Amino acid sequence: MRRVPMKSGVEFFLLFLVLILFFLFDLLSGSVHISMAQSFTSFFHPTSADPQITSIIHQFRIPKAITAVMAGAALSVAGLQMQTVFRNPIAGPDILGISSGASLGVALFVLSAGWIFKGAMLFSTMGSWGIVMAAWLGAGCMMLLVVLIASRLRDLMTVLILGILISSAILSVVSVLQYFSSESSLKSFIVWTMGSLGSTTSDQLMVLVPSVLAGLILAFLSAKFLDAFLLGENYAKSMGMNIRLAYLLVFASTSILAGSITAFCGPIGFIGIIVPHLARKFFRSPLHVRLIPATMMLGAVVMLAGDLISQLPGYEISLPINSVAALLGIPIVIWIIFRSKKIGAL
Amino acid sequence: MKEEIFVECKGLSIGYHERSSAFAEVKSNLSLRAFSGEMVGLLGGNGIGKSTLLRTIAGFQTPLSGELLIRGRSVSEYNPDELAKEMSFVSTEIVMVANLTVREMVGLGRFPYTNWFGQLGAEDHRIIEKAIHQVGLSGYENRLINRISDGERQRAMVARALAQDTRIIILDEPTAFLDISNKYEIVRILHNLAKEQGKCIIFSTHELNTALSMADRIWLMLNDSVIDGIPEEVAYGGYFESLFSNNPHLYFDPEKNDFRIRKENLGTIFLTATGNELIWATKALERLGYEVNSTFLVREMIEIEVKQLDRRWQVGCSGKFTVVESLGELCREVKKIKLQP
Repeated sequence: MRRVPMKSGVEFFLLFLVLILFFLFDLLSGSVHISMAQSFTSFFHPTSADPQITSIIHQFRIPKAITAVMAGAALSVAGLQMQTVFRNPIAGPDILGISSGASLGVALFVLSAGWIFKGAMLFSTMGSWGIVMAAWLGAGCMMLLVVLIASRLRDLMTVLILGILISSAILSVVSVLQYFSSESSLKSFIVWTMGSLGSTTSDQLMVLVPSVLAGLILAFLSAKFLDAFLLGENYAKSMGMNIRLAYLLVFASTSILAGSITAFCGPIGFIGIIVPHLARKFFRSPLHVRLIPATMMLGAVVMLAGDLISQLPGYEISLPINSVAALLGIPIVIWIIFRSKKIGAL
Repeated sequence: MKEEIFVECKGLSIGYHERSSAFAEVKSNLSLRAFSGEMVGLLGGNGIGKSTLLRTIAGFQTPLSGELLIRGRSVSEYNPDELAKEMSFVSTEIVMVANLTVREMVGLGRFPYTNWFGQLGAEDHRIIEKAIHQVGLSGYENRLINRISDGERQRAMVARALAQDTRIIILDEPTAFLDISNKYEIVRILHNLAKEQGKCIIFSTHELNTALSMADRIWLMLNDSVIDGIPEEVAYGGYFESLFSNNPHLYFDPEKNDFRIRKENLGTIFLTATGNELIWATKALERLGYEVNSTFLVREMIEIEVKQLDRRWQVGCSGKFTVVESLGELCREVKKIKLQP
């Protein structure tokens, strides 16, 4: 089958338009009905608009939409990198336990901070940096463990199963930790575990946005290495790739991306697995210079769409984002498994 | 072109490093050489360590002891980037990547030469097109590598190695999984590269016949030693016989440059025929396990006689003869005679 010559510019432009569109939709939707005119006034002329609406837009909807964009982009790019490095089509930060590692990091930090500082500093910017770094550390340790396992066991299926097992073990440790924590720290931890796209404050965004951008920059820097990984580690080595540097970059990037999102939004599954596949399908290229920006934007769109669905337009309640992501994501993962028939082909 | 030693192993021990200080030695004290413009065929039984040797030369594993020199310099003195410009590698595994075109895959071979983002320049594109042309895949540039045949894909892998523009190319069983025509095509391409561009090509294979007729040098891995020499030298030294010495049913046939299965001798057949009929009837009867004789001198020892009658055959023993139409019927008749002694 011949491939149509690339029209990458057009594809990227269209995707960008869709992203803007979904971002605007996301600002308009929510339990309180706000018309397009009202939201534009409150956005561009905050002084002349209804102060209540302005506060909803500025304090809730804009941070939530930005968080959705960050979460979608970060989890998807992390998933893409993991799928390429492990040459496994259903790898992702959640399934290989990177997100659980981040959860453990946060749990240890929140519970010990609650014990030391009586939980007072957790919701300050300092506390946010503390949480996010604890999450990076947790994600990084888990990533290291997965790489060690993958280097010992060549079988992709076994690596996946071990990832899932370790992931459940870590989540059990987190639950056990809750039994041994003081009432006040437990309270702040529970608040954290209920984290969603909408719970990030503008202060936390000051931490989340730079973290995700740093992770994405590292991902872009690893693009050439990821291309070489497509042919397998031996070919990559034979082409002179600095394996340590490559792993370090991908390591740092995925840990920061998956860690930061888990720290502020709680565990959100399946986005990291499915979006890279959608990007490969729509952009028809396995080369990462194209695939990373494609995955990034597509991830943001998918997350905004998930957020729109979770708000159940027309109802006053909203569903938890991780359930929506799972309900939408699992059928697609099943489709991926059926399509590739054998685990092993990207 | 001046002849230069491209790859040299001096007392090299290969194997795997295991926990702590212990290691599993696969082969020790290897002394081998490969020159510029040479195609080297690495032969040996399964599990003898061919892949380990190639992986060690390619730099995926470190030698356990001894010296490995690439163009006169120890392999440990090269940084990964420098080594990638001297030596490229093609493995036997089938690489499956969705949506990757032949051109993009060959382009990955430019890895050691491109900038941080892997951007290809005009010169890179020229080299890529040339490499694709050299393996005869012109017109396939935009085809997807998981939608072309195994033979075409393996040629594309060779093109990727060519795009890497190295003097040495290491190939681990490049012709496994390929049909005869594709096997021949790959070996022909490699042969031309060695002859025309002075590259040093080292490939492992189980195709004794191909290796002996096409390679300039044979590295034969035996249980207790490794032989390095030109094909005829290795055959003349009787080393192929020791390759499968543990298997009494195999013997090396120098006429055919290959191993043959030794069969139980059922007896001797006296055959009178000429031309093609002689050749094919001999093969058919030998396959049944008979020794075929066409000389009158030993007629006394003969049990069965076969005679060509124009396009038909006369088969028989002790004076009783049958006439048959084809070689198939001839064989059936011979088997029938044997059943009733």
